[in-house]
Amino acid sequence: MPQLLTVRVKRPGGRPIRIWVPVLPIVLVFAPVVVLAVLVAAVACLVYRVSVVRALGTGWRFVSALPGTRFDVEQGHTAVLVTIR
Amino acid sequence: MNEQRKDILDMLAEGKITAEEAEQLIAALERDQPPAASSLDARPKGKAKYLRVVVDALEDGEPARVNVRVPLQLLRAGVRLAALIPPQALGKANAELNKSGVPFDLSQLKPEQLEALVDHLDEMTVEVDQSDAKVRIFCE
Repeated sequence: MPQLLTVRVKRPGGRPIRIWVPVLPIVLVFAPVVVLAVLVAAVACLVYRVSVVRALGTGWRFVSALPGTRFDVEQGHTAVLVTIR
Repeated sequence: MNEQRKDILDMLAEGKITAEEAEQLIAALERDQPPAASSLDARPKGKAKYLRVVVDALEDGEPARVNVRVPLQLLRAGVRLAALIPPQALGKANAELNKSGVPFDLSQLKPEQLEALVDHLDEMTVEVDQSDAKVRIFCE
């Protein structure tokens, strides 16, 4: 499961902004919203006749595979970097 | 040991050439070796873990660079997620593809085939070179 999301934004003439987002505490804070989202997803699965267990398992697998992802975009003096660890 | 080097050592063993001559010949042989493979080819062989997309381009005269690294495990999970798309949605997507002139039936694409495709991605390298842009897609 992802532990840390890092966002770095560099703008021309400005100081670079770095944001570290600890995923687990954020998920815990937003736990009610997460539970609600899972319930909505489960209902959608039932409506479209997709196995709820399979869908949730695959969703979890997707989230678990996120660490190591990195997006780095630079143009001139502007840059955005997003990493998931 | 390559064939030419073996021939030189054979000649030395048979006494046809001296040790100094053999040394010179081997040195000449090493000089004639083809240059080392490019950094891309020389990357360590092994099970690839990431798909890399690197784009270097010139946008409005400014250098632009996109560097994306996606774990192959994420692609596999995405393929499994795509397998959960309900048939109704696939039908609509097929109709839109047909409308756009792409007669492709997405329902024929099985998750096993996609997983096999992801498994063999580590052998793939795509390089596009243009005057103002360079795109490289490879696994590492």
